[in-house]
Amino acid sequence: MAVLREGLCPGLNEDLVHDLRAADIKTVEDLVSSDLEELAQKCSVSYKALFAIRRVLLAQHTAFPVSGADLYEELLSSTAILSTGNPSLDKLLDSGLYTGEITELSGGPGSGKSQVCFGVAVHISYQLKQSVIYMDTTGGLTASRLLQMLQAETSNTEEQMEALQRIHIFRLFDVYSVLDCLYNLRSGGLQQTSVAGGSVKAVIVDSVSAVISPLLGGKQNEGMSLMIQVAGVLKAMAKDFNVAVLVTNHVTRSGSGEVQPGLGVSWSHIPRTRILLERVEYAVSVGRSSLCSATLFKSSRQACHIKEEFDLQCWSRSKERSSGKRKLDETNS
Amino acid sequence: MQRAVSSLALSPSVKVKLASAGFQFTADLRHLKPLQLSKEAGLSQQEALEVLQAARSEGAGHREGALTALELLQQEEEMRSIITFSSQLDAALGGGLPVGKTTEICGAPGVGKTQLCLQLAVDVQVPPCFGGVGGQVIYIDTEGSFLVQRVVDLATAVIRHCSLLVEDNDQRDAMTSFTVETILSNIFLVRCHDYVELLAELHLLQYFLLDHPKACLLVVDSVAFPFRHFDDLLQRTRLLHSVAQQLITMATRHSIAVALTNQMTTRLRGGQSQLVPALGESWGHTPTIRLLLHWAGPRRLAAIFKSPGHMDTTIQYQITSDGFRDADESEQPQSKRPRTHNDQSAGSQREAGC
Ligand SMILES: Nc1ncnc2c1ncn2[C@@H]1O[C@H](COP(=O)(O)OP(=O)(O)OP(=O)(O)O)[C@@H](O)[C@H]1O
Ligand SMILES: [Mg+2]
Repeated sequence: MAVLREGLCPGLNEDLVHDLRAADIKTVEDLVSSDLEELAQKCSVSYKALFAIRRVLLAQHTAFPVSGADLYEELLSSTAILSTGNPSLDKLLDSGLYTGEITELSGGPGSGKSQVCFGVAVHISYQLKQSVIYMDTTGGLTASRLLQMLQAETSNTEEQMEALQRIHIFRLFDVYSVLDCLYNLRSGGLQQTSVAGGSVKAVIVDSVSAVISPLLGGKQNEGMSLMIQVAGVLKAMAKDFNVAVLVTNHVTRSGSGEVQPGLGVSWSHIPRTRILLERVEYAVSVGRSSLCSATLFKSSRQACHIKEEFDLQCWSRSKERSSGKRKLDETNS
Repeated sequence: MQRAVSSLALSPSVKVKLASAGFQFTADLRHLKPLQLSKEAGLSQQEALEVLQAARSEGAGHREGALTALELLQQEEEMRSIITFSSQLDAALGGGLPVGKTTEICGAPGVGKTQLCLQLAVDVQVPPCFGGVGGQVIYIDTEGSFLVQRVVDLATAVIRHCSLLVEDNDQRDAMTSFTVETILSNIFLVRCHDYVELLAELHLLQYFLLDHPKACLLVVDSVAFPFRHFDDLLQRTRLLHSVAQQLITMATRHSIAVALTNQMTTRLRGGQSQLVPALGESWGHTPTIRLLLHWAGPRRLAAIFKSPGHMDTTIQYQITSDGFRDADESEQPQSKRPRTHNDQSAGSQREAGC
């Protein structure tokens, strides 16, 4: 709740703020929940004036009801589906990343999360000609790999450079910097970024867990509260700017070796769709293939636990061979 | 959308005071003067000033660390990697140990982790006219395995190698100051006996790096050893993650390469026991690149088993009296600066792009 201060609403002048404070009324919440009659006496103002102030404050701080029909209308007109450029993932995601939502990729070290993020960034910037914001919290973002993926799409260097310019990178290694950056984007920075290229259609955070893990498991639960705040801004950003948000997460392993996305229960409500990535291991544990299996862990659109396999090298291959996968992009862009 | 005061980088006690004084959102703070705030929230003036600075920095065009992928690509191309003196490993890594990233070297005892670290500590000093980086090293030794005599051997071999390559006056000049003494004096050795010392050292390192802009490499041999006996595993994971974030921050901000070594441990999964890197699975996310040194019969192999830009590759190497080398003697680095001729690696495709 906001602190009461002069000019917050008509009639709330300096003297009154002072008097209210003397009566231990500091915030809007205090005022709204106090007994007005008693307060009027204590501060020697008219009950009517206080009542009017309270009504204005309530109106300022209320949530507005929206009809379901309006919501649906808005949804239809604003939601876009961004193909990931990877047919297997698009299948799991029911065509691709939905704007207005948070999608999560989780997996162990080297499971291919960053590769998928790179692929998505390249696809959106090159094929869809839209800007992407990429927050790198692990130092894993490698521009030469992005270029390699672009070279598989086109041999035109001009186009490659243009696509690279539409990917806006923030390298932030602690949660406070991430929050600073998110709030800043939220309050206008995102539109500014859009001016400099196509509009921003996707925000990628690789990874959320890297900045939260150093704070979790201690005595204070600061980490938890910060995690919820990160979730809050990401959600608000997805909705208000109608962008697709893609985040990556670690996994935890139970004693029997079963994997689960990390960051616990409170986080599990945040992403609308969760995908678990695993590398397909050779039978005789000598190494891993470049095959990656993706399992749908949570979804509001499809049955969970459906599984798809794809090759991590698919982004390095020239695209001419795979046909038919362009159609989604055309309908969306 | 309002930003909560609790999301600012302030100490917990300050946050508690602010909350109990009713300040929940940064908007509540913006119109205040330091004096007012310190009175209302019971903070010292210094604290009040910090709070207001933190609350205002937001929205002030926070562009720290912002760049486009094209700019990052240019940065990557300007940064020289540190050669390992095994041309095959260099090729697999796209030129050597990358600057600006963290690389973990895992392996069983005796397979050559420390040898590779010592080799890098010497290699990083190869003068630029020979294709080197010409940098200094911070070497954090937690196991007591740093052997000066071995460094002297490696340095002598590298100097000999360079002196055979001398072609012009630049290089002749460079050789006069590229001696065993200077090599040793450019290695800042820090011995850490336990994890507290390690944490403290890493904390101080950011200031050391500001004073030593020529430092290009940080070695921690090993990270695993100081963290081996730890009762509270959650606490250990938390500490390790903050160490990792600190390391990548330094690597990025000061453009240094970070090399860490890690031991191996056995893990039981599905009734099978497997040799895996120590420190737990979640630690594995933190290094940018992971290398595994292992034996295959009498042969020594190095495998890149995680990298955001390189395919998993395995190469063979050997450790001679001169140091870390290719398995096949005929394949010693011939050129001044080993180039990538391996079309699997990202590095080689770069030229085509620009
Ligand atoms: N150029 C490439 N060509 C083919 N495969 C590659 C290429 N670059 C990386 N890979 C594969 O991707 C793997 C790394 O995957 P990725 O970086 O996505 O891991 P991650 O899931 O992000 O791991 P972490 O959680 O540790 O960040 C490499 O080990 C390699 O197998
Ligand atoms: Mg990654």
